[in-house]
Amino acid sequence: MMKQQPGKLGIREYVSITVLMVGSKASEDTPSLLSIQVQNAAWMIPILSAGLFFIPLFLLIKTISLFHEKDLFSVIEKLFGKYIGFFVCLVIFAISSFGISVDSRTYTNIIRAYYFNTTPVLVLYGLFMAVCAYGAKRGIRNVGSVSYLLIFYTLLSLFIALLLCTRESNIQAIMPIWGPGKWEVLKGSLKNLSLYADFFLLTMLVPYLRSSKEFRRGTWIAYIFTIILTSAATIVFVCMFDQSLGGIGYPFHSAIRYISLGSYIPNLEIIFFVIWIMGAFIRFTAFLYISALMFGHLFKIKDFEYLIPPLAAVYLLIGAIPETPIDVSLEWKSIVRMTAGPVFTAISLIIWLAALLKGEFKHAENKNSM
Amino acid sequence: MKKNILVSLIKIFNKEPQFNEQSNAKIIYLKERDITGHYDQNLATFKSIFSIPKNTDVKIREFTIRALKRRAFILYIGTMVDSEKVQQSILRPLIENERPTGKIQDIISFPVEKTTTNIGDIINNITSGITALFIDGDRQCYIFETTQVQGRSIEKSDNEVIVRGAKESFNERLADNIGLIRKKIKNENLIVEGLVVTKRSRNDILLVYEKDLVNDELLQKIKDRIHMIDADSVIDLSILEQYLEERPRSLFPTILNTERPDRAVSFIEEGHIILLMSNSPNCLVLPATFWALFHSPEDHYLRTPYGNFIRILRFIALFISVFASSFYIAITNYHVGMIPPDLLMAFAGTRERVPFPSIIEILMMELAFELIREAGLRVPSPIGPTIGIVGALILGQAAVQANVISPIVIIVIALSGLSSFIISDVSMNFAIRISRFLFIFAAGFMGIYGLAALVVSGLFYLVSLKSFEVPYFAPMTPRFFSAKDLIIRHVPIKERFRPGYLKPKDMVKQRGDSN
Repeated sequence: MMKQQPGKLGIREYVSITVLMVGSKASEDTPSLLSIQVQNAAWMIPILSAGLFFIPLFLLIKTISLFHEKDLFSVIEKLFGKYIGFFVCLVIFAISSFGISVDSRTYTNIIRAYYFNTTPVLVLYGLFMAVCAYGAKRGIRNVGSVSYLLIFYTLLSLFIALLLCTRESNIQAIMPIWGPGKWEVLKGSLKNLSLYADFFLLTMLVPYLRSSKEFRRGTWIAYIFTIILTSAATIVFVCMFDQSLGGIGYPFHSAIRYISLGSYIPNLEIIFFVIWIMGAFIRFTAFLYISALMFGHLFKIKDFEYLIPPLAAVYLLIGAIPETPIDVSLEWKSIVRMTAGPVFTAISLIIWLAALLKGEFKHAENKNSM
Repeated sequence: MKKNILVSLIKIFNKEPQFNEQSNAKIIYLKERDITGHYDQNLATFKSIFSIPKNTDVKIREFTIRALKRRAFILYIGTMVDSEKVQQSILRPLIENERPTGKIQDIISFPVEKTTTNIGDIINNITSGITALFIDGDRQCYIFETTQVQGRSIEKSDNEVIVRGAKESFNERLADNIGLIRKKIKNENLIVEGLVVTKRSRNDILLVYEKDLVNDELLQKIKDRIHMIDADSVIDLSILEQYLEERPRSLFPTILNTERPDRAVSFIEEGHIILLMSNSPNCLVLPATFWALFHSPEDHYLRTPYGNFIRILRFIALFISVFASSFYIAITNYHVGMIPPDLLMAFAGTRERVPFPSIIEILMMELAFELIREAGLRVPSPIGPTIGIVGALILGQAAVQANVISPIVIIVIALSGLSSFIISDVSMNFAIRISRFLFIFAAGFMGIYGLAALVVSGLFYLVSLKSFEVPYFAPMTPRFFSAKDLIIRHVPIKERFRPGYLKPKDMVKQRGDSN
């Protein structure tokens, strides 16, 4: 218990990374995109999607924990063989890479739209990616440590921000409770499985945790946490902006512009911005590390840490392609949203099926009984 | 691999110069030999080694031992021994005692430390203040512990001032320092292990630790690091510190340097290792985390609420001293909307006639503050107070009146400067003062976004620092078992564990059931 192997993530650090990675979705354009689909029932989507995504995630984690301390890609290659495995891994890598580029561009757009209107996108974006690349190069353990140092303040500030928002909001806005109708909401949650797609990618980190049991525990803690976080944030935004939520690009940042601390300090957004951007740095640092890990695994590169700066540069270039924030949010992002959720779900299920058919579960049972 | 190519390239262009050095093979050969029984030969050897009579304070006294009826000489360095003792307890009995007896130990009242035959060994002893006795026909040399080096007495700690708790501090005498530690830990497991770091000056250092606590691997690692030092001389512990650090170029210290024996003892009790060195009025604590550098012994001497109060105060001071100036720049240059309108008017009013951009203003004042601070340190003490007055008066009042600096900036700088004094550790203090400038530039470049980017990069850097394999923010992250003495400390009864990152042999400081 006392011994700590070098470079291993503790459960606290892992949960912090995960919460920052997934939970920060509540602070970008996700709530408004949800609202476009299901209006005031948007807050239900995170819960329902989580319920739906629980099944593939549970099966995936169950399958992965059969193989001791193996990450997602190793398991895929083991189950699907060399060639199909490679192809599946490549698809996952491609989707996640595209996701990182688009998402990081979204964050840059937020920074530009709200805080630095005159600074060129490329400067903001370049600095953003540079910091992330630097952090990722320090290794996942250090990323975990920083996120553990920051998570408390991030959540606290988010909580305070949401609390202050309630003064401006109107609880009646969540009525009618099912929004456009039950069927529509269910369809919406099916479409938004990608909300939790990050959990799928995080299974790459299994070997970096001390045990797969810690990984499982950490994942479920973070899962519940992020459901509550995303849903609560969306409720607050729905109550605050009501019908107009769909038209607001980035509700969190609009909301923190509304709030004030008494009449003396009318604008608090900078304080929240600082903490939010720190969380965002962590999020993409972890993302970058994971995708370098994937790339290294795909092409058998052992010192994959050297890949991080070039990968960051590539993502920067891809992310710089869209001309306007609207393009990013509505066109590029919807591609990721449409593919990531279903594809990752399908892969999780197929992995489990393959393991089942190959008799890996029985095999493991025999091993245990021996 | 890239680095290797670079290194070899640099080597090609930067060849180490060849020096025409004189060989000292003869002396080395001499040092390895033993002394002979011949009186004259020994005398000649040592006279040549110590360059007598050129070397004025090396004394040789030739005489005849009456009891043995043999010729003999003693050799010592006059400035390092207690001449009175040599005269009274060694020389006089040897000359005056007439009763025939075979043993030197029976003649001399002064205790014989040991006998030795090796010339190198004898030289080492003499240079550290020992008296050596050579007798004609005797193949051994008698060595007497007569060292008496001049030095300071034990005084109050100057640089780490506290209100409660012990006031004494280490001085330059090793024996005193060990005594200060020994009197606080009365335990046979307290080991004081001597090591010699350098070949030429033979600077000796002492490792102090508790045998039944310290992790052997850690101890070995530290010893290995010490043995890796290949220098002719390491004069001071602070220089040794730089040799031992993993990243000597880093802005942040990874070894704690303290002059308080009570602090050293508290670290020994937790399983740390203390390094002491002769001629240095301080000690090194290895390994040290951010928390060790950030805490002050006062935190524990005061009652828990008071101790925590000053801890939180220090924590706030840390933030103010790092971020006050940069935050001011970011807010006034990039995010003006954040300032309440009335305050903004006040700012604008005071800045109206100032011709410089605020970053220049801040940099000027920061520089001025650092100048006053450094000048106040270096100035001879009789005119010390003047510096404070001159600094405050001229730089504050006059700069404002001349419309060079706005009063707001003076407030900001004074606040951040004042706060920086609260961080008591000298190295940490420097780290924070220097990083303040980095933050000012970051804020000037990109406002709060640049600031946040630098903070996050700084955190990434800090968590990756290690002090003898112990992460900088341990035991907070990565987490280890510990007394949870981080930002807030518990009451002493609840502090049950030694820090887990040291992997001590005995983890529990106080068992809950034993009282």
